Amino acid sequence: MKESLLDVLCCPLDKHDLELEDAVGDDDVESGTLVCTECGERYPIEDGIPNLLPPDMREETPA
Amino acid sequence: MDLAERRGMETDVYQPATDSRLLAEAAIDRLSDRPTGRVLEVGTGSGYVAGQVRSALEWDVVASDLNPNACLEARDRGLDVVRGDLVEPFGAERFDAVVFNPPYLPTDPSVERDDWMEVALSGGPSGRAVVEPFLETVRRVLRPDGVVLLLVSSLTGMSDVTELAGDAGFSAIAVTTESFPYESLTVLELIQ
Repeated sequence: MKESLLDVLCCPLDKHDLELEDAVGDDDVESGTLVCTECGERYPIEDGIPNLLPPDMREETPA
Repeated sequence: MDLAERRGMETDVYQPATDSRLLAEAAIDRLSDRPTGRVLEVGTGSGYVAGQVRSALEWDVVASDLNPNACLEARDRGLDVVRGDLVEPFGAERFDAVVFNPPYLPTDPSVERDDWMEVALSGGPSGRAVVEPFLETVRRVLRPDGVVLLLVSSLTGMSDVTELAGDAGFSAIAVTTESFPYESLTVLELIQ
């Protein structure tokens, strides 16, 4: 994901801002973690795609 | 990724169909009248509609989907992609437009299959299981003059959808309609 995408994102739970940690890749972040500045919930970035599903939905995958 | 895996992926990501083309054309037509801005496509699937809009207009385009395989396909089109549930991961007043071709087929829960294609198509018993929470939440991410372009099928109940939109503070205008033997497809423009 482009680092500028951070401007439009928020924590899906409490709608507070996110901070980028452990970013791999420069302007185009390949992997890393988005951390909520309020509740501290962590959201992974994998294959350049931030996964901003709430933790309880993250593993819910149909067969 | 080899071809077999690629084929397997295609079966669980909704591929562009008549509804996608209708929505893409309507979105490009309506947004081209507005100042350049930022548009979000929710439930992007293959990324077709978002990709068409990005090719036609100078707008910033963001695409999101619940399905991880759809996210990968949309990313491979070069789109900025976020995995998320409707507009939940987006900040307040960030978008000038939101575009959505929702799952809308009314389905009997007893015969629903449990896979991503079902998630892409099924709107629950009413056909409105996804449209309803979308309409209740989308306004938060729109700028004050932002619009929604929503594809609605006659199977989903047009008057029910416009009523839900009204409850959420929108007025609805039908911008295009195409009729088929089994349903008609309409793109609604929702204005705040």
